[in-house]
Amino acid sequence: MGQNILLLTLIALPLVGFVLTGFLGKNLPKRFTVTIATLAVFSSFVCALLLFNMNDKTQIVHLFNVVNFEDFRLSANFQIDSLSIWMTLIITGVGTLIHIFSIGYMSNDEGIFKFFAYLNLFIFSMLLLVLGSNYFVLFFGWEGVGICSYLLIGFHFSDEEKGMENSIAARKAFIMNRIGDIGLLFALFMLLSTFGTLEFTMIADKIHELKDAHVTLPYFAITCITLCLFIAATGKSAQIPLFTWLPDAMAGPTPVSALIHAATMVTAGIYLIVRSNFLFELAPFTQEIILYVGLATSLVAAFIAMRQSDIKKVLAYSTVSQLGLMFVALGMGAYTVALFHVTTHAFFKALLFLGSGSVIHAMSEEQDIRKMGGLAKKIPITHLTFLIGTLAISGFPFLSGFYSKDEILAHALMESPVLYGALMIAVTLTAIYMFRLYFLVFHGKFRGGNELESHVHESGPAMTFPLIVLAILSVFGGILNLPGIFLHDQAHWFSHYLESTTAGLNEIEVHHLESSKAIILMIVASLIALGVMAWAYFNYVKKGNLAKADNELKGWEKASNSKLYIDELYNLLFVKPLELISKTIYSYFDTLVLRNGVFIIAGLIEKTGNVTRKWQSGFLASYLFWMLLSIVGLITYYLIKI
Amino acid sequence: MELLILPLVLALLSYVIPSKGVKYYGLGASLVILAVTIGHLLHFNAENYVAIINPINDLPFGLSFKLGYDSLSFVLVLLVNSVVPLILLANFYKELATNKSFTALVFFMQMGLTGVFLAQDGMLFYIFWEVTLIPIFLILYWFGEQNNNRVLLKFFIYTLLGSLAMLLAIIVLGVASHSFEYESLAIYGAIAPAKTACWISCGFLLAFAIKIPLFPFHTWQPATYTSSPMAGTMLLSALMLKMALYGMIKWMIPLGFTGIESIKWLVITLGLIGVVYGAVIAIKQNDIKTLFAYASISHVGLIAAGIMIYSTTAVEVAIIQMINHSIVSVGLFLAADILESRTNTRDLYSLGGITKLAPNFGFWFATITFVSISVPFTAGFFGEFLLIKELFEAHWFAGFSAATTLVFGAVYMLRAFQLSMFGAPKLTAFEDLKWNEILVFAILLATAIFLGLFPQFVIDFVKPSIAKIQELTSYDLKIIK
Repeated sequence: MGQNILLLTLIALPLVGFVLTGFLGKNLPKRFTVTIATLAVFSSFVCALLLFNMNDKTQIVHLFNVVNFEDFRLSANFQIDSLSIWMTLIITGVGTLIHIFSIGYMSNDEGIFKFFAYLNLFIFSMLLLVLGSNYFVLFFGWEGVGICSYLLIGFHFSDEEKGMENSIAARKAFIMNRIGDIGLLFALFMLLSTFGTLEFTMIADKIHELKDAHVTLPYFAITCITLCLFIAATGKSAQIPLFTWLPDAMAGPTPVSALIHAATMVTAGIYLIVRSNFLFELAPFTQEIILYVGLATSLVAAFIAMRQSDIKKVLAYSTVSQLGLMFVALGMGAYTVALFHVTTHAFFKALLFLGSGSVIHAMSEEQDIRKMGGLAKKIPITHLTFLIGTLAISGFPFLSGFYSKDEILAHALMESPVLYGALMIAVTLTAIYMFRLYFLVFHGKFRGGNELESHVHESGPAMTFPLIVLAILSVFGGILNLPGIFLHDQAHWFSHYLESTTAGLNEIEVHHLESSKAIILMIVASLIALGVMAWAYFNYVKKGNLAKADNELKGWEKASNSKLYIDELYNLLFVKPLELISKTIYSYFDTLVLRNGVFIIAGLIEKTGNVTRKWQSGFLASYLFWMLLSIVGLITYYLIKI
Repeated sequence: MELLILPLVLALLSYVIPSKGVKYYGLGASLVILAVTIGHLLHFNAENYVAIINPINDLPFGLSFKLGYDSLSFVLVLLVNSVVPLILLANFYKELATNKSFTALVFFMQMGLTGVFLAQDGMLFYIFWEVTLIPIFLILYWFGEQNNNRVLLKFFIYTLLGSLAMLLAIIVLGVASHSFEYESLAIYGAIAPAKTACWISCGFLLAFAIKIPLFPFHTWQPATYTSSPMAGTMLLSALMLKMALYGMIKWMIPLGFTGIESIKWLVITLGLIGVVYGAVIAIKQNDIKTLFAYASISHVGLIAAGIMIYSTTAVEVAIIQMINHSIVSVGLFLAADILESRTNTRDLYSLGGITKLAPNFGFWFATITFVSISVPFTAGFFGEFLLIKELFEAHWFAGFSAATTLVFGAVYMLRAFQLSMFGAPKLTAFEDLKWNEILVFAILLATAIFLGLFPQFVIDFVKPSIAKIQELTSYDLKIIK
């Protein structure tokens, strides 16, 4: 009982925060509103921690039935288990830190109360997404986070210069997500018709029952369902082909990019697949597709990130690429590994985004890395924490990213050496573009001009505090799931913690490489990270090679810089034709054919009227004539008939 | 009986009121009707049928003058009587509101609409159906844009043509079953030869397809919507087209039941073509009212297709979606009128940046935009979700065509909203919302959220009467048993 109340409080708090800040925020002092909003999320986090301590088994909390039909119902139920609690901890924990950061970052913004209201609404929707005990509540949250994402990307929509640009980016994100949502919608329909319910546990039980009874499972339906779920995941988690919205989403304020477009919302697709692992286990075909799409995405995005010049765009493509790695893990059926990377990625990517926010703040809203340089001494805390983030994402030994990536690589090696090789390319590219970014921003000479240089300043404590906390987490996050070679007894704590929810249908089989192989893998990974770091230092700092202007780029650099022309391609393939069709059918079919068609019919009637009108001439003689003619005609007719 | 008489009396009374007080009178009187309706609601058990006039038997031609309501009829009467005060409230500061004839016509219209939903006799249904055409035509003619005669003539002739087809169908039915009373018509419909039944349902279909409007009978609609005064557009889209959707559920399908299979997929296809067609055209429209008109074609196409599935779920959900459509159309056409009356243009590219000038309007226009693209916590979320589900179960491609509305809806609505409201302001001043406009938007939003959280209220309420109608259609099966 205590758990139920705790859970409902946890979900309700951000909603209360949203209502308070949204509707009263205008009239309250700024300091007050931001405190309410931040406290709401923080209290949620505390509740989550309490639940985390109490939780031992899966528990369903029933709230009410939203709709109730004879053959099915949709209910507002929530589920407490290790997976949902873990996601909740990430969302509210990182969420709190980002709220604190925003207090500093958005302090000069007039609409700050709106910003915090939206953030709270986002946290609420995200909690619905991960805590729902059925696909319907998940879908509710899924759509909800889409709206919040729209509102927050376009937050500065009335900006004189960039307002329209921001709102177009927001719309693009929303629409691409909605394309994916059709997949989710169809998956839900098929689940309903195949299993008659949308509850996770009930579907899993049904599959168990069928298996136990040795009935052939509906494999075709399950494959279709999983494919549709994956389409939904590609939308939300920015995978090929629906990934182009995420880099554009960087138009939003930086805390938004950190919270929504790095740490939480974009991992919803991964959560969805982990949650449905009992289905994906039965659909090897889908798993294979996930694997290849994830791999392709991680390579393509890493390639594009190589020559981006906007600090946030580099990080955005990096996020896409890392999400791709997580999907590779999912494709191999390594659910805990994917979630482990979700966790560490939430730490270091949030850190990097907030760090970039701090840099942008220091640079008076300049985001072009070609105008930065030598910031290390001017903003030391930001510099140090950003460096930790860079090291963590590049897989520097013993930082969090090192462990989580290593697990993915180890699984890949067991799958096939080719896959391992391809992943190594993605990992190496990650290290290269991240160190390029780091050195160009923090080392060398300042390139933004004297005017700008004089304004550069370290951010206040509201912004540096979250950076420091996240940096600590990025360093030590790996402890969650240490491999067996370091600690024999407590190794793989995280995998075991999640066992109950991710075991799927089969007994869990944590792949453990032999110690010697595992050590070799780690050494290779470390060497690559260190090697790239040394090369980047030599190239960008010692030799002073700088990022080139856009028009100087050639060959692969140009391709990378122009994002492989994918936006242009989509424009040509989908947007333009649709607009053309819209215009054509409006001005030709609707106006010319249909509207005039009606007039033509009307005209025909009028003409008939003109003919018949003549018959009513009013001349008695003419009527008499026609009458006689008719009588004669009738008589003749009957005579012939007889 | 007062549900029908009261609007008529109030309509006549509005000529007696001094013209200064007409707008207060109009709003007050419409609230009185609403109060009376709610009074009825409190005494009403959804399981029951309440007779207003029992069938009178010995009338010539089998007429029966049967009037009464079950829960389905009552929901729609309640919708009419709640939307009319909103329309009057939205018009409160317009010149229109001080006009006696306008107020009288609105009440006259209300009477006609109520009659349509209360009629339990085929002929009566037809008479009230035609009665509604008179006030709306006069509202459009007297208070609409200048030089809209041609548009109005088209609207009038078009709908009249459809009604005549319906009249023919009703006469055929009435002659065959020797009575125009609803139940005997329905019983005949359940056992009629398939060919006759098919012609009967086609007769109804033509009337309804024009009123809804379904593709390709929609050409009267965009021009009529754009040239009408706001009140006229709202009456047309929020209330009048509901007559046709209601008619499909209550009259067309049961009365032509044995022949309905042969036109079922025709109507679903037309509805779904409308969903895609209306949406695709709306994507590149620059006139905000034309855009909303095509959006409406897209929305109602989905409802009509859903009704034709005719499962219990589909019909119940279609009713939620009908209410939602009323909310959305009142809200959107109010927003469009606010834009047009304060800037003298409907061209999206001449607008822009209004959120900055009028933050309240920005907020409320945004909320109604979100309601129209069916975000969670609003009525449309369930409506769309479940209608698409029912269509999907009938055929996956039907479900897919319907689901495109999710994407296209977002495309054209967000485009319209952003072009008019975001970016750099192109105007120097824009008067923010008045209290009455805020009130209208707030009531709409509250209703949408309430239905979005508790759709079960409506479902439970209409369930008994839907069950009863569907029982009638299975009459032939019982005889065989």
